[in-house]
Amino acid sequence: MATIDSAAVELFKQKAAPASTRVIELGDLDEAMDYALGVCEKKEFCELLLPGCELPLSDKGSAHCVRGTVKTMAAPGLEDRHFARLEKLGREKGFSMLRQDMRGQLAGMDVAFTLADLAIAETATCILQCYSEDLRLATMLCEVHVIALKKSQIVKSSADAMGFLQGIMEKGPMYTAFISGPSRTADIERVLTLGVHGPLELHIALVEG
Amino acid sequence: MLAVRQAFQRKTGIVVQTAKNMKEYHEELKEALDNAYLRETLDKFAVAYKANRAAIFADLNERELIRDIAKAKDAALPNLDALFDRFAREASRRGVHVHRAATAADANAILCRIARENGCRKIIKSKSMTAEEIRVNRALEEQGCEVVETDLGEWIIQLRHESPTHMVMPAIHLSRYQVADTFTGATGRRQDSDIEKLVRLARRELRARFAEADMGISGANFAIADTGTIGICTNEGNGRLTTTLPRVHVALAGIDKLVPGIEDALRIIRVLPRNATAQDITAYVSWLTGSAECAESRDKRKIMHVIFLDNGRSSLAKDPACKDALRCVRCGACANVCPVYRLVGGHKMGHIYIGAIGLILTYFFHGREKARNLVQNCINCGACKDVCAAGIDLPAIIQEIRARLVEEEGAPIESSLLAMVLGNRKLFHTLLRFGQWAQRPVTGGTPFIRHLPSIFMQGQGFRALPAIASRPFRDQWEDLRVRLPKEGKIKVGLFAGCAQDFIYPEQLKAALNIFAAKGCSVDFPMEQSCCGLPVQMMGERKASEKVALRNVKAFDPARYDYIVSLCASCASHMKHGYPRILREHAEMAAEVRRYAGLVRDFSSFARDVLDLNEADLRNDAERVCYHAPCHLCRGMEVTEQPRELMRFAGEYRQTPEEDVCCGFGGSYSMKFPEISARIMEKKLDGLEGSGASVLVTDCPGCVMQLRGGEEKRGNTLKVEHMAEFLERHMKK
Repeated sequence: MATIDSAAVELFKQKAAPASTRVIELGDLDEAMDYALGVCEKKEFCELLLPGCELPLSDKGSAHCVRGTVKTMAAPGLEDRHFARLEKLGREKGFSMLRQDMRGQLAGMDVAFTLADLAIAETATCILQCYSEDLRLATMLCEVHVIALKKSQIVKSSADAMGFLQGIMEKGPMYTAFISGPSRTADIERVLTLGVHGPLELHIALVEG
Repeated sequence: MLAVRQAFQRKTGIVVQTAKNMKEYHEELKEALDNAYLRETLDKFAVAYKANRAAIFADLNERELIRDIAKAKDAALPNLDALFDRFAREASRRGVHVHRAATAADANAILCRIARENGCRKIIKSKSMTAEEIRVNRALEEQGCEVVETDLGEWIIQLRHESPTHMVMPAIHLSRYQVADTFTGATGRRQDSDIEKLVRLARRELRARFAEADMGISGANFAIADTGTIGICTNEGNGRLTTTLPRVHVALAGIDKLVPGIEDALRIIRVLPRNATAQDITAYVSWLTGSAECAESRDKRKIMHVIFLDNGRSSLAKDPACKDALRCVRCGACANVCPVYRLVGGHKMGHIYIGAIGLILTYFFHGREKARNLVQNCINCGACKDVCAAGIDLPAIIQEIRARLVEEEGAPIESSLLAMVLGNRKLFHTLLRFGQWAQRPVTGGTPFIRHLPSIFMQGQGFRALPAIASRPFRDQWEDLRVRLPKEGKIKVGLFAGCAQDFIYPEQLKAALNIFAAKGCSVDFPMEQSCCGLPVQMMGERKASEKVALRNVKAFDPARYDYIVSLCASCASHMKHGYPRILREHAEMAAEVRRYAGLVRDFSSFARDVLDLNEADLRNDAERVCYHAPCHLCRGMEVTEQPRELMRFAGEYRQTPEEDVCCGFGGSYSMKFPEISARIMEKKLDGLEGSGASVLVTDCPGCVMQLRGGEEKRGNTLKVEHMAEFLERHMKK
């Protein structure tokens, strides 16, 4: 059983809010998956960021409009058995469930569900090893990104993540992502606006273990 | 002028520094000063930034972090060649092609070749100042490529054919209405000015560009030699899409972005977002170690290139007086706190790079032509140095560049004259005495110059200028000294400085009364002269050194416990400037060090050394507000003592932005009166409503500016030097 630094967990929760990250405490990975399915179920199709409908887009811009009414959920980084469970439950709810070929979804998708490899409390950062292109794309193309994070994976500071990062980067090619909130901009009149290129919402499902 | 620049902009597709001389530069500044939207925006930003930055650093040891960044950068810079070799080896092992470009043209040639060889025509970019530096877009467009910026701010200014006005927020100068107009032009459909809609429109329009692109260009916030990793910090996430979707990725980085290990990168990440936008961290930090999976390429691996740009950096790294500029992490904080940037914005306060670091890098990366006017536009308030993420002494490097420009191109006549006069104390003081006599017809018997012919008053009408005193302090000294204790418990060598010696001797006399009351003996060595800061600011290196040496020799350190100056600018120049500007005079090093060690400002001396306290002062509840001189609060790092002293003697009313420059800046207010006036107005506006009847400050330059401004406004707020204020409240 991995040890949990409860001070680090508290710090993570505290630092998430100012970064517009939602933290939900759940029991295990199954519950985290159920939560992500719930998010997908509750949200309206095409509600947040997939316009094309109401905005006066250029001809080129409107080429990538989502057609149809089926909600899409992507979960590229899961083990087979976990994906099988998620896929089954998602299909029952009528979602299109994706594990690969994210390039086909450039217009966008509703929810992405991924797993964190490590987290840094002082900046509420999740670290994801994204050698997989599908993983990188799913976490950018979705409207809501749900990351499942085990409490034992939270370290206090970036210095505590040094060894882990060293291990990853000394090996082969790797694309390592620090994710510390939804996609944001303040480029117009310094007004904070979420979801400029990537997700509008980031949810961290904290699970035991 | 405006028409000329617009024509240039159409031709080159970019707005940069085009002023050919100071006159044209002044015209450009006027244009910015007349832009009410820009000023309001930058004002709000300046105030918000300071508060947000303070909050985000609250739990951290900011000074230690900054010191660590400086130390690590200083250790890396002499080893750039070795770091490059290691990076190249490690990155190649992981499938990346690494290049080194000596010049901007070389870097563009490499980039264009990569595009040709891979058949790339549709190119997307995430934000890169290095790409701006070498004008990548233009080079690629010339060979028929289409280049689209994907950072929202960069896209907006690209559509408008402008250059960034801020390194982190490139479109900070634009309103939502201007952006809506720009997007209307880009889409051919009328766009709403609602910010959220504009952002979503950009998302959709740019998504289409991502989809069709065959090459992505990014910058790099750091490059780790140990592992061949580049790091990209973005909030929008466009960096992730740029480096993921197209089959080719080219990262462009200055060689100064090389660091040895992951630890160095983590350190930069700790400071950069906090200092740039007061965030704990950017939403995304991408660490690209080697070429990762890419479904679009033949072997399912990204075609990845990293180009390291030199463009003068290697020689800058070997330049002892200026090399610290390469510590810069491009956070943009030096612009955020600059009182001049706040008024005129980035197009007038930089060329490609902006703010204090922009003035410096323009000289080194883009040459004298572009830098000549810009480097004059620093008021030397030290606000940038105070917040710099890498602890760069930006004003000192700007002064060094001014000196080099004088050596390379000769000095303007007024600068050479001042240098000649200040170099000769007797001539200087004779001229000042002559000035006292000559000004009589224009003072009308008041302490201000009333009717100076307009030729002497160009742009100076925003404040009343003080008259030269009828008897300088030095001529009164023999009469004054007899009233002072002979063998006091503390021995003070008084450094007068020009302004108090010749304009405000009453400030020094007030201090003498306080010193005497506290049992100090005071000496005033007659051989002392101007501290030399004015000629230092004009780049007159020889005169600056000569005057400094004269002052060091004038004070026999064995005879004094302290050298006290009532002028914060003189004090900080003597304490911190002298050791720097006299570093070549090795034979005097010990004397200079001792001299600098003895220098104190008036307030901290009165409070900490003399222990001036409530028992000495009569508190009549006079309502007093404070202006913290730049060279006191930042130059001397004295902040608490003046406020304590005011509380002992009156009712201290705190006002906003007490530590923002008053706009004087010595010769700056003569060179850029239009800016000096606006900074002063803002300062005086901020004091209104404080309910104070007296404004206290610690520097005769600030007194001159603020008293002159209040006089001109016809206001009743009395402006006093701290010594005068305290002396009025001394219990007899």
